[in-house]
Amino acid sequence: MTNIVVLVKQVPDTYSERKLNESDHTLDRESADAVIDEINERAVEEALKIKEAGEGEVTVLCVGPDRATDAIRKALSMGADKAVHVSDEALQGSDMVATAKVIAGALGKVDGYDLVIAGNEASDGRGGAIPAMLAEILGVPQLTHARELSLEGTTLKVDRETEDGVTHLEANLPAVVSVTEKINEPRYPSFKGIMAAKKKPVETLTVADLGVDAGELGLSGAAATVLEAAPKPPRAAGERVEDDGDGGTKVVEYLAGQKLI
Amino acid sequence: MRFALSPEQRDFAAALDELLAGSDTPGVAREWADRRCEPGRKLWRDLADLGVWGLLVPEDLGGAGAEPADAVVALEACGYHAVPGPVVETAVVAPRLLGGDELAGVAAGESMATVAIPPEVPRALDADVADVVLRLDGESVTRVPSDVDPGGRVPSIDAARGLFPVPEHGVPLGAARPHAVEFGVLGVSAQLVGAARRMLGMATEYAMQRRQYGRPVGQYQAVKHLLADVTVRLEMARPLVDGAAVTLASSLDPPGADVPGAGAAAIVRDTSAAKVAATRAALLAARTSLQVHGAIGYTAEHDLGLWLTKVRALAGAWGTADAHRGRVLTAVRGGHGG
Repeated sequence: MTNIVVLVKQVPDTYSERKLNESDHTLDRESADAVIDEINERAVEEALKIKEAGEGEVTVLCVGPDRATDAIRKALSMGADKAVHVSDEALQGSDMVATAKVIAGALGKVDGYDLVIAGNEASDGRGGAIPAMLAEILGVPQLTHARELSLEGTTLKVDRETEDGVTHLEANLPAVVSVTEKINEPRYPSFKGIMAAKKKPVETLTVADLGVDAGELGLSGAAATVLEAAPKPPRAAGERVEDDGDGGTKVVEYLAGQKLI
Repeated sequence: MRFALSPEQRDFAAALDELLAGSDTPGVAREWADRRCEPGRKLWRDLADLGVWGLLVPEDLGGAGAEPADAVVALEACGYHAVPGPVVETAVVAPRLLGGDELAGVAAGESMATVAIPPEVPRALDADVADVVLRLDGESVTRVPSDVDPGGRVPSIDAARGLFPVPEHGVPLGAARPHAVEFGVLGVSAQLVGAARRMLGMATEYAMQRRQYGRPVGQYQAVKHLLADVTVRLEMARPLVDGAAVTLASSLDPPGADVPGAGAAAIVRDTSAAKVAATRAALLAARTSLQVHGAIGYTAEHDLGLWLTKVRALAGAWGTADAHRGRVLTAVRGGHGG
């Protein structure tokens, strides 16, 4: 019986316009449609595959505001068994270190975990460090950027793919894995899965339940402060080449000037 | 009586939409028209994984034991994405006609079912591809041989629809559950609403893209009004389709339920009214979107044609609007036709 915990984050839909709050430069969650991060669907799929191949239980763990229940419901509809939702105003503006501590605290509330599966990075913050930080706090192996994962008994094997190549990793459970987009194609929730999700238990926790020092959390507890934020400047207009019979030459001169040829 | 979709129905609609939007359904429908059916069968298996074919099948046969309103959500998605094949026959009519292993096979996505119900449905849709071909005469169901002669195909304006006459001989399967025809009428109405919504969406998108005299054609009031008229007619049809689903659900209440089941007359009245309104909305959506698209909409290469021809075919399927107006009239007169 493998107890698997999948970390799930609700993020602004990548198709909608994403903005920061003008006052404190945190993510403006109201301005965009909120969805479960797509990479988390792959993490859930991988957990379900392990569960279906043997025995196991899949718990969804989400840190986020109240409306993140929609993301949790999607994961439960796909087939996860239960969920833990950490929701607390005090978490608003927390940095990655604080978030990793909160997740580690929440894992202490799950009765025993063997494997934690996360996405390699969220599509909003794109820090990509939470899985490694979490493994460090828990004192368990970290197998990040997995494009393939297999579990034999309590031995976990992972193909870790980065720009430099593929590394074959092996570790004993318990461990933390983060998966890339190549890991699988996530299933769609079925009608029965959607109906069953209504009845699955979701435990809601606050910071006070976790034994984490509230002083380390939130905007004031963050190690770095965002002083200023500005939207990316619009792309400058390109250079226009008029073709008076020598257009080709001018294009070549331009490219040579940019050291492209 | 709540007509608004539940959060679960919205999630189901979103899952269907995500699957179908990523499945190149126009391409699948074109292949299906030429009887290259493997992509279509793959699509049907994917829909089986989501539970579409088992929605109205009891849970002990592997189905979901869901409500007609849930089936409306699925069939509207099939109409919106032009899913080919006997979707109405398999999803909502087969559960009225089959039982046991045969129905369990439908729920599991192993059998595609089709049916002829003379005189309302004189020919069976895609009987050359379907695994289970049925015939309903009055209350008696017959399973006819599924090895139909491909040469017997009767042409339909919708190239994806293969219509086949069904022989009278076969294996008798017993009595049908009530209202098989009305379930079919509800299903095709939902499909029409989905198709209408798709054509309205395509026309709206095109109107914002296509520029004439320096601005998008959608900025001209004449075009805006055309599209607004379609929206109004579509939104007037939708509650009738949802209402018919509610009426049919109340007919399924087990004996001894607090609320008495709707009478047969109410079921005929509400499903027929839904078909009349959905057909009107879909035909207006077709005419308007063709007009807004201009000449490009006429071409076989443009996807709009898939829906233009489909709604024209569905308008006559499971009874014409005139036939359904007659049924409404008879029902409101208390069964004394005139």
